Amino acid sequence: MPLDKPNSGHVVYDPRGIVQATAIPLGKRVEDLNGLRLGVLSNKKWNGNKLLRKTQAILEDEFDFAAAHFYEKESFSKNADPGLLGDIIAENDVVLTAIGD
Amino acid sequence: MTSETLADAPPELEGAQSVVPEGTDLVEWYYENGFSDGFPVAPPTPEKVAAIVAALGGEPDHIEARVPPRWGNLTREVMAVNMVMAGCKPAYAPVVRAGMLALCSTAFNLNGVQATTHMAAPLLVVNGPIRNEIGMNAGHNVFGPGNRANATIGRAVRMILLNVGGGWPGDLDKSTLGSPAKYTYCIAENEELGFIAPYHVEKGFTEEDSTVFVMPAEPPHSVTNHVADDPEGILDSIVSAMSTIAHNNAVSAGHCAVVLGPEHAKVMAARRWTRRDIRHYLWYQATNTFGDVAFQHRYGKVYNRSLPKWYKRDLDARIPVAPTPDHIHLFCAGGEAGRFSAFIPGWGHMASPVLRELNGAAPAGGGMTCEDGTCYV
Repeated sequence: MPLDKPNSGHVVYDPRGIVQATAIPLGKRVEDLNGLRLGVLSNKKWNGNKLLRKTQAILEDEFDFAAAHFYEKESFSKNADPGLLGDIIAENDVVLTAIGD
Repeated sequence: MTSETLADAPPELEGAQSVVPEGTDLVEWYYENGFSDGFPVAPPTPEKVAAIVAALGGEPDHIEARVPPRWGNLTREVMAVNMVMAGCKPAYAPVVRAGMLALCSTAFNLNGVQATTHMAAPLLVVNGPIRNEIGMNAGHNVFGPGNRANATIGRAVRMILLNVGGGWPGDLDKSTLGSPAKYTYCIAENEELGFIAPYHVEKGFTEEDSTVFVMPAEPPHSVTNHVADDPEGILDSIVSAMSTIAHNNAVSAGHCAVVLGPEHAKVMAARRWTRRDIRHYLWYQATNTFGDVAFQHRYGKVYNRSLPKWYKRDLDARIPVAPTPDHIHLFCAGGEAGRFSAFIPGWGHMASPVLRELNGAAPAGGGMTCEDGTCYV
């Protein structure tokens, strides 16, 4: 709201605007990957994709997952489709993603 | 909402406004608080802020948009503060607001544009009577300095992207190189020459409508042709500028823009080439081979899923720079002397340009998908 003009001094403004945010707590950390469903989300970037494929292979060698699913965003520079995120939540217990340009 | 705070606010600022002692160097104060684009800002006063808020319709707390990636609330007062800091007059308010609403529409993907490592900056092109009402430059040096409206509207948008959107270099703006267009990038189309129909008229608006077009873009690439006296010759020079593998359109498809200088546009008009003819010629002739954009598979076999599925992937297959003629946005601007045009590469398939009438009206002629006053072109 506007301030009355001060008798002395200068009015200054914060030009940034308020950020309204809802706090979202982190999910409970798992203690054992064995028997869980692994989801892997790639943003479709060239190097990120390679990193995830190799990481998934290493993890599958080391742990006995109940299932492993690989997902891709429509575009690396767009938000993931909400439907895709819903599928990932429904179909997996843990999710792995990476950024690689 | 569980929280509502001035995130990152310097401790001396407990609200949108506060008071500093008489004699404070206000230009330095805005520098010291990190609120400048690098140039000195015009310190806002309550009177100047109120005048712009009034031009926006009053209600200073009304939220016009939330600006990514910081997602700050762009209230009318915050917009006004940034506009004053950029040097805007109140009369520019409808253009800045339309531009910001267009930029914050889902299709534009400002979240990505702000954060990308690419150098894209939002290009604003203004059409219609508002150009002359606020004294915009559509003539000589149209992309350059010297006009208050062009310079400060573009600067106000950038100030908002920085302050409200949080697109500070190295923080939420990860651009490797940036570009001079990130200071200000706003022009008007030169409609008065009449060599081609105004852009917004091609899209279904009337000449009496005023619109703002936005597209994430590289700076203009100059196209010189002082020889050709026919459309094909001039357009072949533009085709040459387009047909490289270096810009994002080549490897990520998407939209781009072409600005015809008046002398070039005059040749098009003399031969009765329409906007449609020009855009189709450029689309049909501007190509690369798939092998070029795949580096001949030198670094591994490339499919390139950023390009449309319907492109052939044979190494010698010719693929267009723009997926369709509608991905080429054509304007006429600049001074009447000089045989120059410009090619402006876009960011890629990740964003859609947006066209918005100042008051959010849909085009009478239809032809576009419009949602809440924002039309996707």
